Amino acid sequence: MNAGKINSRIMIDFTHRQSAHCESGVAANLLTYNGIKISEAMAFGIGGGLFFGYLPFIRINHLPLITYRAAAGKILQQIAAIPGVTMVRKTFRDQARAMDELDRALAASIPVGLQTGVFWLPYFPMALRFHFNAHNLVVYGKEGHDYLISDPVFPEPVRCPTEDLQRARFASGALAPKGKMYYLAQVPDEFDRASFIVQGIQYVCKMMLGSPFPLIGVKGINFLAGRLEKWPCRLGNEKADLHLGHVVRMQEEIGTGGGGFRFMYGAFLQECADELQDDFLRDSASSLTLTGDAWRQFAGMAARICKNRLQPEDTYPAMAGIIRHCGEMEKQIFRDLHTWVNEQQ
Amino acid sequence: MKKFERELLELICATCNLQDVDPEQIRSNDPLIGPESPLGTDSLDALEIAVAIQQEYGVRMDSENTSREVLQNVATLADYIQAQTDIRR
Repeated sequence: MNAGKINSRIMIDFTHRQSAHCESGVAANLLTYNGIKISEAMAFGIGGGLFFGYLPFIRINHLPLITYRAAAGKILQQIAAIPGVTMVRKTFRDQARAMDELDRALAASIPVGLQTGVFWLPYFPMALRFHFNAHNLVVYGKEGHDYLISDPVFPEPVRCPTEDLQRARFASGALAPKGKMYYLAQVPDEFDRASFIVQGIQYVCKMMLGSPFPLIGVKGINFLAGRLEKWPCRLGNEKADLHLGHVVRMQEEIGTGGGGFRFMYGAFLQECADELQDDFLRDSASSLTLTGDAWRQFAGMAARICKNRLQPEDTYPAMAGIIRHCGEMEKQIFRDLHTWVNEQQ
Repeated sequence: MKKFERELLELICATCNLQDVDPEQIRSNDPLIGPESPLGTDSLDALEIAVAIQQEYGVRMDSENTSREVLQNVATLADYIQAQTDIRR
């Protein structure tokens, strides 16, 4: 936890670890820095990161919002709610004040989490710079005009000039970060992992099974299946394909089509199984991984339809069938996990 | 290009129906996905490739970052599949 300040150089001894997703990665790295060694999957699970929501009344680029994970900021919010954890969170109107506050925290040897807009971060390759304003990273130092950044989606730490970071912190549009910064001011001496595991699983069970809204959780999965099946009739083929591409591309730009979050929650359950020596959780982990595979099977079919490379079995009703199958599998998994949670209490 | 890399490239071309691509012109370290790729593939193609790799070799790419790293080029893809296959053995 030492900071070296030589002339205009501040560098906190912060361990950078690459992760699959920014928010869970930042949460894991900040907790680990503060003495609570935790994997990204564990942070994702304890933070209640798994979710499903299909919200057609919210539009992103004129297309309906679909999410395979909890809302941006939810994981950090859940971690901040752990008894004994104090997370300082601030947003700003004044950009200069926001940068001064960041510098002050760094001078006090505190690694700082920031919410930023990806588009304005120059170290992202141009092909990956899109308008997403809830990208999390950790600033762990400053050298001259550059901030030293642990951006969890990169294999190595990166640097970012002051004016670019400032612009990214004040990107406008949906989910505008408003200069948001956060850091852990306090963590508990004893971290009762088992109880937080149970609470995290309980939260996700509630979200996936207990929501009264038909667009959320397993109900939302089935709702999407019903809507998607009718898209060609309701929207016409061209617009239906546009919606379809959006559904598989929205949350994960490359290669997993929404299944990635199921794989990560599976990794969390696997880690819990090892930690608690619980074979039921091990079986649940395997089942959830199979759900991820089914989501990916749907996404693969969707990609073929969007690219006009149809195989005979590729149809909208077939995709709806796979989505319903995902819903059935997740319903069973979270029902069983809910029973497990009750047995722990 | 190594034999296994050639095999993967052929699988990718077949999966993504890349009829205009001459595999002889593709090098092991050419970008596989994105605007700089000589294959002209995008993120939806990446999805199909990920599914095809899992079906053909039983190797899963389980996150966006894994996919991004693994699908950099044919060589990284071949290394990943071989490493995952070795782990299973």
